[in-house]
Amino acid sequence: MTHAHVDELDRIELADGFEWRPVRRRFGIRAFGVNAYAPGATGQIVEEHSESMLGHQEIYLVLRGRARFTVDGNDHELAPGELVFVRHPSLQRSAVALTDDTIVLALGGKPGSAHEPSAWEAMFAAVPAAREGRWADAIRMHEEALVEQPNSAPLLYNLACMESRGGRPLDALLHLTRAIALDAKWAEHAAKDTDFDPIRSEPGFPS
Amino acid sequence: MNDGYRVLSLDDLERLKSTDGTLTLLPLRRTIGFRPFGVNAWLGERAGDRVIERHRERDGDEELYVVVRGRATFTLGEETIDALPGTLVHAPPGTLREAIAAEDDTLVVAVGAKPGKAWEPAAWEDFYVAFAHRAAGRADEGRALVVDTLRRHPGTWQGPYNAACFEALEGDDDAAFEHLGVAFDRAPALICKYAPADADFDRLHGDPRWQELFG
Repeated sequence: MTHAHVDELDRIELADGFEWRPVRRRFGIRAFGVNAYAPGATGQIVEEHSESMLGHQEIYLVLRGRARFTVDGNDHELAPGELVFVRHPSLQRSAVALTDDTIVLALGGKPGSAHEPSAWEAMFAAVPAAREGRWADAIRMHEEALVEQPNSAPLLYNLACMESRGGRPLDALLHLTRAIALDAKWAEHAAKDTDFDPIRSEPGFPS
Repeated sequence: MNDGYRVLSLDDLERLKSTDGTLTLLPLRRTIGFRPFGVNAWLGERAGDRVIERHRERDGDEELYVVVRGRATFTLGEETIDALPGTLVHAPPGTLREAIAAEDDTLVVAVGAKPGKAWEPAAWEDFYVAFAHRAAGRADEGRALVVDTLRRHPGTWQGPYNAACFEALEGDDDAAFEHLGVAFDRAPALICKYAPADADFDRLHGDPRWQELFG
Protein backbone atom coordinates (compact mmCIF):
# COMPACT_ATOMS: atom_id res chain seq x y z
CA MET A 1 0.00 0.00 0.00
CA THR A 2 1.51 3.32 -1.03
CA HIS A 3 -1.12 5.73 0.22
CA ALA A 4 -3.98 6.11 2.66
CA HIS A 5 -6.16 8.86 4.02
CA VAL A 6 -5.91 9.43 7.76
CA ASP A 7 -9.53 8.28 8.02
CA GLU A 8 -8.59 4.96 6.39
CA LEU A 9 -5.98 4.11 9.00
CA ASP A 10 -6.63 1.63 11.80
CA ARG A 11 -8.29 3.27 14.80
CA ILE A 12 -7.11 1.99 18.13
CA GLU A 13 -8.78 3.43 21.20
CA LEU A 14 -6.37 3.58 24.08
CA ALA A 15 -7.01 3.62 27.78
CA ASP A 16 -5.58 7.12 28.04
CA GLY A 17 -8.66 8.40 26.21
CA PHE A 18 -7.48 9.06 22.68
CA GLU A 19 -7.42 7.22 19.39
CA TRP A 20 -4.15 6.11 17.84
CA ARG A 21 -4.04 5.84 14.07
CA PRO A 22 -0.79 4.06 13.21
CA VAL A 23 1.00 5.53 10.21
CA ARG A 24 4.52 4.13 10.55
CA ARG A 25 3.27 0.57 10.96
CA ARG A 26 0.75 0.98 8.12
CA PHE A 27 3.45 1.75 5.59
CA GLY A 28 6.31 -0.16 7.23
CA ILE A 29 8.32 3.03 7.59
CA ARG A 30 11.72 2.37 9.14
CA ALA A 31 13.46 5.72 8.96
CA PHE A 32 11.37 7.94 11.24
CA GLY A 33 8.50 7.97 13.69
CA VAL A 34 5.11 9.14 12.47
CA ASN A 35 1.59 8.58 13.73
CA ALA A 36 -1.80 10.24 13.71
CA TYR A 37 -4.16 10.84 16.60
CA ALA A 38 -7.86 11.58 16.95
CA PRO A 39 -9.76 12.49 20.11
CA GLY A 40 -11.41 9.93 22.33
CA ALA A 41 -14.53 10.45 24.42
CA THR A 42 -12.71 12.81 26.77
CA GLY A 43 -11.36 14.98 23.96
CA GLN A 44 -7.79 14.07 24.79
CA ILE A 45 -5.76 13.75 21.60
CA VAL A 46 -2.17 13.76 22.86
CA GLU A 47 -1.56 12.18 26.24
CA GLU A 48 0.36 14.15 28.82
CA HIS A 49 3.92 12.91 28.63
CA SER A 50 7.53 13.80 28.11
CA GLU A 51 10.02 12.16 25.76
CA SER A 52 12.77 12.01 28.38
CA MET A 53 13.09 8.23 28.17
CA LEU A 54 13.40 8.10 24.37
CA GLY A 55 15.13 11.45 23.90
CA HIS A 56 12.87 12.30 20.97
CA GLN A 57 12.27 15.70 19.46
CA GLU A 58 8.67 15.88 18.25
CA ILE A 59 6.53 17.88 15.87
CA TYR A 60 2.77 17.89 16.32
CA LEU A 61 0.99 19.15 13.20
CA VAL A 62 -2.75 19.80 13.20
CA LEU A 63 -4.15 18.37 9.98
CA ARG A 64 -7.84 18.98 10.70
CA GLY A 65 -10.00 20.62 13.35
CA ARG A 66 -8.55 22.51 16.28
CA ALA A 67 -6.56 21.47 19.33
CA ARG A 68 -5.36 23.11 22.50
CA PHE A 69 -1.79 22.08 23.26
CA THR A 70 -0.25 22.49 26.68
CA VAL A 71 3.52 22.52 26.55
CA ASP A 72 5.64 23.20 29.61
CA GLY A 73 2.55 24.59 31.29
CA ASN A 74 1.64 27.00 28.48
CA ASP A 75 -1.55 26.71 26.41
CA HIS A 76 -1.63 27.19 22.64
CA GLU A 77 -4.69 26.78 20.42
CA LEU A 78 -3.79 25.43 16.99
CA ALA A 79 -5.67 25.28 13.67
CA PRO A 80 -4.89 23.19 10.56
CA GLY A 81 -1.41 23.85 9.23
CA GLU A 82 -0.15 24.96 12.63
CA LEU A 83 2.32 22.97 14.65
CA VAL A 84 4.22 22.63 17.89
CA PHE A 85 7.86 21.65 17.75
CA VAL A 86 9.04 20.32 21.11
CA ARG A 87 12.81 20.53 20.99
CA HIS A 88 13.57 19.48 24.55
CA PRO A 89 12.47 15.90 25.24
CA SER A 90 11.97 16.60 28.92
CA LEU A 91 9.12 19.07 28.43
CA GLN A 92 5.67 17.88 29.40
CA ARG A 93 3.17 18.15 26.58
CA SER A 94 -0.45 17.20 25.96
CA ALA A 95 -3.34 18.25 23.76
CA VAL A 96 -7.12 18.34 23.84
CA ALA A 97 -9.19 18.43 20.65
CA LEU A 98 -11.57 21.38 20.38
CA THR A 99 -13.57 19.80 17.55
CA ASP A 100 -14.61 16.17 17.16
CA ASP A 101 -12.94 15.78 13.76
CA THR A 102 -9.50 16.93 14.88
CA ILE A 103 -6.50 15.01 13.59
CA VAL A 104 -2.95 15.59 14.84
CA LEU A 105 0.05 14.15 13.04
CA ALA A 106 3.02 13.45 15.30
CA LEU A 107 6.55 13.16 13.94
CA GLY A 108 9.39 12.15 16.21
CA GLY A 109 12.89 10.83 16.48
CA LYS A 110 16.14 11.10 18.39
CA PRO A 111 18.73 13.47 16.93
CA GLY A 112 21.96 11.78 15.93
CA SER A 113 20.57 8.24 16.07
CA ALA A 114 19.19 5.86 13.47
CA HIS A 115 15.48 5.56 14.07
CA GLU A 116 14.24 2.52 15.94
CA PRO A 117 10.52 1.83 16.11
CA SER A 118 9.32 2.60 19.62
CA ALA A 119 8.36 -0.39 21.71
CA TRP A 120 5.08 1.25 22.66
CA GLU A 121 3.83 0.93 19.09
CA ALA A 122 3.66 -2.87 19.32
CA MET A 123 2.07 -2.61 22.74
CA PHE A 124 -0.57 -0.16 21.49
CA ALA A 125 -1.18 -2.28 18.41
CA ALA A 126 -1.89 -5.27 20.63
CA VAL A 127 -4.50 -3.40 22.68
CA PRO A 128 -7.53 -4.49 20.60
CA ALA A 129 -6.48 -8.15 20.75
CA ALA A 130 -5.89 -7.95 24.50
CA ARG A 131 -9.18 -6.14 25.04
CA GLU A 132 -11.00 -8.95 23.24
CA GLY A 133 -9.09 -11.65 25.09
CA ARG A 134 -7.28 -12.83 21.97
CA TRP A 135 -4.14 -13.47 23.97
CA ALA A 136 -2.40 -15.55 21.31
CA ASP A 137 -2.66 -12.62 18.86
CA ALA A 138 -1.48 -10.11 21.45
CA ILE A 139 1.45 -12.35 22.37
CA ARG A 140 2.40 -12.84 18.71
CA MET A 141 2.51 -9.06 18.13
CA HIS A 142 4.83 -8.61 21.07
CA GLU A 143 7.03 -11.48 19.96
CA GLU A 144 7.33 -9.98 16.47
CA ALA A 145 8.44 -6.67 17.97
CA LEU A 146 10.91 -8.43 20.24
CA VAL A 147 12.69 -9.93 17.25
CA GLU A 148 13.80 -6.39 16.41
CA GLN A 149 14.20 -5.17 19.97
CA PRO A 150 15.14 -8.24 22.02
CA ASN A 151 16.33 -6.16 24.97
CA SER A 152 13.35 -3.87 25.31
CA ALA A 153 12.30 -4.11 28.93
CA PRO A 154 8.86 -2.53 28.32
CA LEU A 155 8.14 -5.04 25.55
CA LEU A 156 9.26 -7.97 27.68
CA TYR A 157 7.16 -6.73 30.57
CA ASN A 158 4.05 -6.33 28.43
CA LEU A 159 4.63 -9.68 26.79
CA ALA A 160 4.73 -11.19 30.27
CA CYS A 161 1.43 -9.46 31.04
CA MET A 162 -0.17 -11.01 27.95
CA GLU A 163 1.25 -14.44 28.73
CA SER A 164 0.06 -14.26 32.32
CA ARG A 165 -3.46 -13.38 31.19
CA GLY A 166 -3.26 -15.91 28.37
CA GLY A 167 -2.48 -18.92 30.52
CA ARG A 168 1.22 -19.24 29.82
CA PRO A 169 2.66 -18.84 33.33
CA LEU A 170 6.12 -20.19 32.66
CA ASP A 171 6.66 -17.89 29.65
CA ALA A 172 5.28 -14.99 31.68
CA LEU A 173 7.72 -15.61 34.53
CA LEU A 174 10.61 -15.96 32.10
CA HIS A 175 9.89 -12.67 30.32
CA LEU A 176 9.05 -10.78 33.49
CA THR A 177 12.35 -11.89 35.01
CA ARG A 178 14.19 -10.71 31.91
CA ALA A 179 12.43 -7.34 31.98
CA ILE A 180 13.38 -6.84 35.63
CA ALA A 181 16.97 -7.89 34.94
CA LEU A 182 17.14 -5.13 32.32
CA ASP A 183 15.43 -2.52 34.49
CA ALA A 184 14.63 -3.13 38.14
CA LYS A 185 11.74 -0.66 38.13
CA TRP A 186 9.54 -3.28 36.46
CA ALA A 187 9.55 -5.28 39.70
CA GLU A 188 7.69 -2.41 41.37
CA HIS A 189 5.16 -2.31 38.53
CA ALA A 190 4.69 -6.08 38.66
CA ALA A 191 3.96 -5.98 42.38
CA LYS A 192 0.86 -3.86 41.72
CA ASP A 193 -0.12 -5.03 38.22
CA THR A 194 -3.30 -7.09 38.21
CA ASP A 195 -2.20 -8.69 34.93
CA PHE A 196 0.06 -10.84 37.07
CA ASP A 197 -2.61 -11.99 39.54
CA PRO A 198 -2.85 -15.38 37.75
CA ILE A 199 0.83 -16.09 38.39
CA ARG A 200 1.54 -14.11 41.55
CA SER A 201 1.62 -17.22 43.71
CA GLU A 202 3.84 -19.14 41.31
CA PRO A 203 7.31 -20.09 42.56
CA GLY A 204 9.81 -17.65 41.08
CA PHE A 205 7.47 -14.66 40.91
CA PRO A 206 9.65 -11.68 41.78
CA SER A 207 9.13 -10.47 45.29
CA MET B 1 7.33 30.71 24.92
CA ASN B 2 10.74 29.27 25.73
CA ASP B 3 13.59 27.80 23.74
CA GLY B 4 12.43 24.28 24.54
CA TYR B 5 9.58 24.43 22.11
CA ARG B 6 8.10 26.53 19.36
CA VAL B 7 4.62 27.09 17.96
CA LEU B 8 4.18 28.24 14.38
CA SER B 9 2.06 28.00 11.29
CA LEU B 10 3.40 26.56 8.06
CA ASP B 11 2.24 29.86 6.59
CA ASP B 12 4.74 31.69 8.80
CA LEU B 13 7.61 30.07 6.91
CA GLU B 14 9.53 31.75 4.11
CA ARG B 15 8.41 30.83 0.60
CA LEU B 16 11.55 30.06 -1.37
CA LYS B 17 11.35 29.62 -5.13
CA SER B 18 13.68 27.23 -6.88
CA THR B 19 16.08 28.76 -9.39
CA ASP B 20 13.83 27.78 -12.29
CA GLY B 21 10.75 29.05 -10.45
CA THR B 22 8.89 25.76 -10.63
CA LEU B 23 9.02 24.82 -6.93
CA THR B 24 8.26 26.63 -3.69
CA LEU B 25 9.93 25.37 -0.54
CA LEU B 26 8.78 26.29 2.96
CA PRO B 27 11.92 25.41 4.90
CA LEU B 28 10.42 23.96 8.06
CA ARG B 29 13.36 21.88 9.29
CA ARG B 30 15.92 24.67 9.02
CA THR B 31 13.58 27.21 10.53
CA ILE B 32 12.87 25.25 13.69
CA GLY B 33 16.19 23.40 13.94
CA PHE B 34 14.65 19.93 13.84
CA ARG B 35 17.45 17.33 13.92
CA PRO B 36 16.10 13.75 13.85
CA PHE B 37 15.21 13.58 10.14
CA GLY B 38 14.23 15.68 7.16
CA VAL B 39 10.90 17.50 7.14
CA ASN B 40 9.85 20.37 4.92
CA ALA B 41 6.75 21.78 3.26
CA TRP B 42 6.17 22.45 -0.42
CA LEU B 43 3.56 24.80 -1.82
CA GLY B 44 1.72 24.79 -5.11
CA GLU B 45 0.42 28.33 -5.31
CA ARG B 46 -1.68 27.65 -8.40
CA ALA B 47 -3.35 24.56 -9.75
CA GLY B 48 -0.91 22.97 -12.16
CA ASP B 49 2.16 24.02 -10.18
CA ARG B 50 4.67 21.35 -9.36
CA VAL B 51 4.60 20.61 -5.62
CA ILE B 52 7.05 17.73 -5.43
CA GLU B 53 9.71 17.58 -8.12
CA ARG B 54 9.98 14.46 -10.26
CA HIS B 55 12.80 12.49 -8.68
CA ARG B 56 14.01 9.30 -7.07
CA GLU B 57 15.75 9.13 -3.70
CA ARG B 58 18.79 7.29 -5.01
CA ASP B 59 20.63 7.32 -1.68
CA GLY B 60 18.07 5.08 -0.02
CA ASP B 61 15.82 7.62 1.70
CA GLU B 62 12.20 6.65 2.19
CA GLU B 63 9.71 9.50 2.17
CA LEU B 64 6.22 10.24 3.36
CA TYR B 65 4.17 13.05 1.84
CA VAL B 66 1.26 14.52 3.76
CA VAL B 67 -1.32 16.70 2.03
CA VAL B 68 -2.15 19.46 4.49
CA ARG B 69 -4.52 21.46 2.28
CA GLY B 70 -5.58 21.78 -1.32
CA ARG B 71 -5.36 18.76 -3.56
CA ALA B 72 -2.43 17.11 -5.31
CA THR B 73 -2.01 14.55 -8.04
CA PHE B 74 0.84 12.24 -7.11
CA THR B 75 2.57 9.95 -9.53
CA LEU B 76 4.37 7.13 -7.77
CA GLY B 77 5.97 4.74 -10.20
CA GLU B 78 3.09 3.65 -12.43
CA GLU B 79 0.44 4.72 -9.91
CA THR B 80 -1.54 7.98 -9.96
CA ILE B 81 -3.05 9.18 -6.70
CA ASP B 82 -5.64 11.92 -6.26
CA ALA B 83 -4.62 13.17 -2.83
CA LEU B 84 -7.03 15.20 -0.72
CA PRO B 85 -6.11 16.86 2.60
CA GLY B 86 -5.19 14.20 5.10
CA THR B 87 -3.79 11.85 2.48
CA LEU B 88 -0.48 10.16 3.27
CA VAL B 89 1.66 8.98 0.36
CA HIS B 90 4.59 6.69 1.10
CA ALA B 91 7.46 6.53 -1.39
CA PRO B 92 9.98 3.74 -0.83
CA PRO B 93 13.59 4.46 -1.82
CA GLY B 94 14.20 4.47 -5.54
CA THR B 95 10.57 4.99 -6.52
CA LEU B 96 10.09 7.69 -9.13
CA ARG B 97 7.69 10.23 -7.71
CA GLU B 98 6.23 13.69 -8.34
CA ALA B 99 3.18 15.73 -7.36
CA ILE B 100 1.27 18.45 -9.16
CA ALA B 101 -1.18 20.80 -7.43
CA ALA B 102 -4.75 20.08 -8.52
CA GLU B 103 -6.03 23.16 -6.66
CA ASP B 104 -4.62 26.57 -5.82
CA ASP B 105 -2.77 26.83 -2.50
CA THR B 106 -1.91 23.15 -2.17
CA LEU B 107 0.40 22.46 0.76
CA VAL B 108 2.32 19.20 1.19
CA VAL B 109 4.66 18.24 4.02
CA ALA B 110 7.50 15.91 3.03
CA VAL B 111 9.26 13.73 5.60
CA GLY B 112 12.33 11.69 4.75
CA ALA B 113 15.34 9.78 6.02
CA LYS B 114 17.39 6.68 5.37
CA PRO B 115 16.45 3.58 7.38
CA GLY B 116 19.14 2.39 9.75
CA LYS B 117 21.23 5.55 9.49
CA ALA B 118 21.56 8.52 11.80
CA TRP B 119 20.23 11.47 9.85
CA GLU B 120 22.39 14.46 8.98
CA PRO B 121 21.16 17.67 7.36
CA ALA B 122 21.57 17.39 3.59
CA ALA B 123 23.53 19.99 1.65
CA TRP B 124 20.71 20.39 -0.87
CA GLU B 125 18.62 22.29 1.68
CA ASP B 126 21.34 24.90 2.16
CA PHE B 127 22.06 25.24 -1.54
CA TYR B 128 18.35 25.57 -2.29
CA VAL B 129 18.09 28.38 0.26
CA ALA B 130 21.32 30.02 -0.95
CA PHE B 131 20.04 30.11 -4.54
CA ALA B 132 16.69 31.46 -3.34
CA HIS B 133 18.49 34.25 -1.50
CA ARG B 134 20.39 35.04 -4.69
CA ALA B 135 17.20 35.12 -6.72
CA ALA B 136 15.68 37.47 -4.17
CA GLY B 137 18.59 39.91 -4.55
CA ARG B 138 20.39 38.79 -1.41
CA ALA B 139 23.47 37.34 -3.10
CA ASP B 140 25.83 38.10 -0.23
CA GLU B 141 23.60 36.20 2.16
CA GLY B 142 23.41 33.34 -0.32
CA ARG B 143 27.16 33.28 -0.87
CA ALA B 144 27.82 33.18 2.88
CA LEU B 145 25.56 30.14 3.10
CA VAL B 146 27.35 28.49 0.16
CA VAL B 147 30.72 28.99 1.85
CA ASP B 148 29.40 27.64 5.15
CA THR B 149 27.81 24.64 3.40
CA LEU B 150 31.08 23.78 1.66
CA ARG B 151 32.78 23.89 5.03
CA ARG B 152 30.22 21.55 6.61
CA HIS B 153 30.14 19.10 3.69
CA PRO B 154 33.78 18.74 2.63
CA GLY B 155 35.01 16.35 -0.02
CA THR B 156 31.91 16.08 -2.19
CA TRP B 157 31.72 17.02 -5.87
CA GLN B 158 28.16 18.30 -5.56
CA GLY B 159 29.15 21.08 -3.16
CA PRO B 160 31.70 22.82 -5.38
CA TYR B 161 29.54 22.10 -8.42
CA ASN B 162 26.64 23.99 -6.86
CA ALA B 163 28.99 26.72 -5.70
CA ALA B 164 30.21 27.04 -9.29
CA CYS B 165 26.61 27.37 -10.49
CA PHE B 166 26.00 30.07 -7.90
CA GLU B 167 29.03 32.10 -8.93
CA ALA B 168 28.39 31.64 -12.64
CA LEU B 169 24.88 33.00 -12.17
CA GLU B 170 26.31 35.86 -10.12
CA GLY B 171 28.83 36.64 -12.85
CA ASP B 172 31.96 35.89 -10.86
CA ASP B 173 33.69 33.77 -13.51
CA ASP B 174 36.93 33.35 -11.58
CA ALA B 175 35.14 31.96 -8.54
CA ALA B 176 32.94 29.78 -10.75
CA PHE B 177 35.94 28.19 -12.46
CA GLU B 178 37.73 27.73 -9.18
CA HIS B 179 34.79 25.74 -7.76
CA LEU B 180 34.22 23.90 -11.02
CA GLY B 181 37.86 22.85 -11.05
CA VAL B 182 37.53 21.38 -7.57
CA ALA B 183 34.37 19.50 -8.58
CA PHE B 184 36.10 18.27 -11.76
CA ASP B 185 39.06 16.94 -9.79
CA ARG B 186 36.73 14.98 -7.52
CA ALA B 187 34.42 13.50 -10.15
CA PRO B 188 35.59 14.23 -13.70
CA ALA B 189 33.20 11.85 -15.45
CA LEU B 190 30.15 13.23 -13.67
CA ILE B 191 31.18 16.84 -14.23
CA CYS B 192 31.72 16.13 -17.94
CA LYS B 193 28.24 14.59 -17.98
CA TYR B 194 26.36 17.37 -16.21
CA ALA B 195 28.19 20.68 -16.67
CA PRO B 196 28.01 21.06 -20.47
CA ALA B 197 24.23 20.64 -20.37
CA ASP B 198 23.72 22.89 -17.34
CA ALA B 199 22.23 26.24 -18.35
CA ASP B 200 23.77 27.85 -15.25
CA PHE B 201 27.11 27.67 -17.06
CA ASP B 202 25.97 28.94 -20.46
CA ARG B 203 27.82 32.21 -20.13
CA LEU B 204 31.09 30.41 -19.36
CA HIS B 205 31.18 28.44 -22.59
CA GLY B 206 33.25 31.05 -24.43
CA ASP B 207 35.89 31.27 -21.74
CA PRO B 208 39.22 29.57 -22.53
CA ARG B 209 39.09 27.87 -19.13
CA TRP B 210 35.90 26.11 -20.21
CA GLN B 211 37.72 24.75 -23.23
CA GLU B 212 40.53 23.55 -20.98
CA LEU B 213 38.08 21.56 -18.89
CA PHE B 214 35.73 20.23 -21.52
CA GLY B 215 37.57 20.63 -24.84
